[in-house]
Amino acid sequence: MRFRAPGEQEAQERAWAVVRRAYEEREPVAWPRRHARPLAAAALVAAVAAAALSPPGRSVVHSLREAVGVKEAEPALFSLPTRGELLVTSRKGLWLVHRDGSKRLLGRYRDATFSPHGLFIAATRANQLVALDPKGNERWTLARPAPRHPVWTGTRSDTRITYLSAGQLRMVAGDGTGDHVITRRTLPPDPATIRHRAGQSEVLAGGRVAFRGTGSFDQAVRSPDGRWLLVSWPTADQWVFVRPGPKRRIVGESRISVQFGGFPRVQGWCCAG
Amino acid sequence: MGKDPQTPGGRDERAWVRRAQAGSASDFEALFRAHWGPAYRAAYLVVRDAAAAEDIAQEGFLAAIRALDRFDRRRPFGPWLHRIVVNRAIDWSRARALRPEAEAVDVPAPHRPEPDDELLAELGRLSPEHRAVIVLRYLLEYTPGEIAELLELPRGTVNSRLRRGLDTLKERL
Repeated sequence: MRFRAPGEQEAQERAWAVVRRAYEEREPVAWPRRHARPLAAAALVAAVAAAALSPPGRSVVHSLREAVGVKEAEPALFSLPTRGELLVTSRKGLWLVHRDGSKRLLGRYRDATFSPHGLFIAATRANQLVALDPKGNERWTLARPAPRHPVWTGTRSDTRITYLSAGQLRMVAGDGTGDHVITRRTLPPDPATIRHRAGQSEVLAGGRVAFRGTGSFDQAVRSPDGRWLLVSWPTADQWVFVRPGPKRRIVGESRISVQFGGFPRVQGWCCAG
Repeated sequence: MGKDPQTPGGRDERAWVRRAQAGSASDFEALFRAHWGPAYRAAYLVVRDAAAAEDIAQEGFLAAIRALDRFDRRRPFGPWLHRIVVNRAIDWSRARALRPEAEAVDVPAPHRPEPDDELLAELGRLSPEHRAVIVLRYLLEYTPGEIAELLELPRGTVNSRLRRGLDTLKERL
């Protein structure tokens, strides 16, 4: 059968740009993995031990424990103070954390977003945007150069994912079809503000300081019901759950790095669960 | 196996794979250029959508990169790639049939070129399963036994799909 598909040459050049980049970013296995894994584990143990034993680390942990009564979270983790599920990334990949503290490693993805009703997850890796179900099964994939920062919005019947790729803001329908470049930026604003000054960090919510601590906070994420804030505090290796307002509450969770194989980044706190 | 005119002999291909595993971008490009055409054409003939075929063939190569270090150089690269591409194309066609594309006011319709001849138009009316075996047999020139291995189907199923697909085409043309 002599046949050439339409647009074959142009498609080849577009695909080669993506595939070449993926090839350049790959890390060839230069020697057997059986050697690399114990070394990596040893390095991780050494790094965690060094961080916990360092004077600044001890000081920060101690001051937090005094201030808010931190629970010593074990690897079995903790429970979330309100409903929903957390999506977080760490060096190991993307995790889905359920309200009871149980968690599932979904795979090696860079960043992620829940679908509007929490039924699916869109995640990115080196050169792909991927839609997953909560068990980590891939529903569809879309090859694009270095996709980042997906945001999934819409209604139950019509959803869109916006994401950045190769300096462009793009949009694809929730079923993976109709991917195209858009010109207007539609990413939602951050729900709370973090301010750093004089070696301290503050989280501002509703124009007031909701929580203050030594070192750096890197994220403040609202719970699905809007009443709680998850303050991510890598300096203290803590997550601090803060409920601002007249019935103010603070719940700290320690040793977060150990539980995720490195300090994670929260990608979303969604409705299910 | 996979006797496309652009595909070189097995020895060249094994050398490309070996050097690509060692980090040679030019050898990986040779592998890509040799296999892009057959992979894209096979995907297109199964899904009948140029944009989707491009994505599917591209996904096949990205999967190849992820598995490159584990790839057994004694085995040919083409069948392994075509297996990924054709299976993804079948999945895509099934999903498309079950789930119409979401309405999107500001999403332009993808470019969908019309087929050049009646045969291709009729091929597109076959089920994805029948289309896939015909594409593998007559475009990529795999034997029924090789198709059975690629799609993990009994050989009898491959033969019956080929027979039924060809009979349907004959009736319609």
